[in-house]
Amino acid sequence: MMDCKNIREILDLYVDGELSPEAAVQAETHLAECAACRKTVARLNRLRQAVKTAVGQYQPPSQLVAQVRQSTVFQWKRATTWVLVVATVLLVAFLGLFSSQVRATVADGLEVAAFHLDDSRATIMEGKLLCRDCLLKDEYGYRAMCPTRGHHGSLQTKDGKIWHILDGDASEELIHNSKLLGRTVRIHGRCFRRASSVEVDSYEVL
Amino acid sequence: MLMGWTRRSRQFERDALPHLPALYRVARQLTSTAADDLVQETFLRAWKYFETFDSTTNCRAWLFRILRNVWINRWRKSHLELPLAETGEEQVEPYYDWEDEFLRDEMSAEVEHALSDLPADYRLTILLADVEELTYQEIARVMECPIGTVMSRLNRGRKMLARLIRHYDRERSSNAKPAAFSRRNA
Repeated sequence: MMDCKNIREILDLYVDGELSPEAAVQAETHLAECAACRKTVARLNRLRQAVKTAVGQYQPPSQLVAQVRQSTVFQWKRATTWVLVVATVLLVAFLGLFSSQVRATVADGLEVAAFHLDDSRATIMEGKLLCRDCLLKDEYGYRAMCPTRGHHGSLQTKDGKIWHILDGDASEELIHNSKLLGRTVRIHGRCFRRASSVEVDSYEVL
Repeated sequence: MLMGWTRRSRQFERDALPHLPALYRVARQLTSTAADDLVQETFLRAWKYFETFDSTTNCRAWLFRILRNVWINRWRKSHLELPLAETGEEQVEPYYDWEDEFLRDEMSAEVEHALSDLPADYRLTILLADVEELTYQEIARVMECPIGTVMSRLNRGRKMLARLIRHYDRERSSNAKPAAFSRRNA
């Protein structure tokens, strides 16, 4: 059995919940019978509660919370985001540069998009008819198929820009008649500026 | 590697960051002027060494251990403090000397004042037990001392604290100038 002296020696362990289950039962038994020790326990608990109240009133400033997050997990998240962005850009660049199939798909997609996005309008364009494939051969070393498939007429305006002539009944001669190459023509039709293309309604050889 | 770091980041956010308020309120009692810096540096160090944290143990206790080390290295050594005579096996004294009613509500100012006058190791031990409710074993790990030392610090610290609170309460009541208990920490 515990007496008053025993219990006051283990008072801290009792209020802190550190006694073994058997010792806690003995302490409870004594406390149930001893009003003086119950008062002592109550005072010690009040002291603990007073400390908790005094210290617990402080909350961290929101700026500190943000700084800590920023300098730990957010820093990592930001780095991860950048790594992913750079990896994506590199992947796209790699595919674009080294995969002709992907490049063609992207180019087709861009062309379609350009057609949709461009505000096409009626226009009169004047320029010289040149073979598109031969120009690309001279400029970039493109392996032109002109000797077997014939030339492909395009319009070069005075500013040096080359316009793709869209297939159509009115444009067939302009595209496929090699005799017109080198001639200056005036085209009436619609211009798709972003796609560098022109739709022919009619034309005249100057 | 990317996945490993992402998992580490999530785990840190889940296990460590929620204890920021607890670390802050204890840091305020250790250094009222640099609590923000102490907490910030504690979390930076915790983040750096998070892979050494054993997730089967109490993360809050691990963080408090870091906080104590940071505080000792960066702040405490710049303030002189007289050590109390202390042995790990010191006999626990019974509570005979403050058995009168002196604690009331609205005494937070006196309690804080008294806490700040306690020797730092006693203060931290009391805060970890009474406010953060760590076990004696966890406190011993945080303080890097035997459990017997934790028990004696709690016992002596609480008695000192009670005397100091009573002193400041009387002082306030009589509006007398403070004469004793001048050993204040930062």
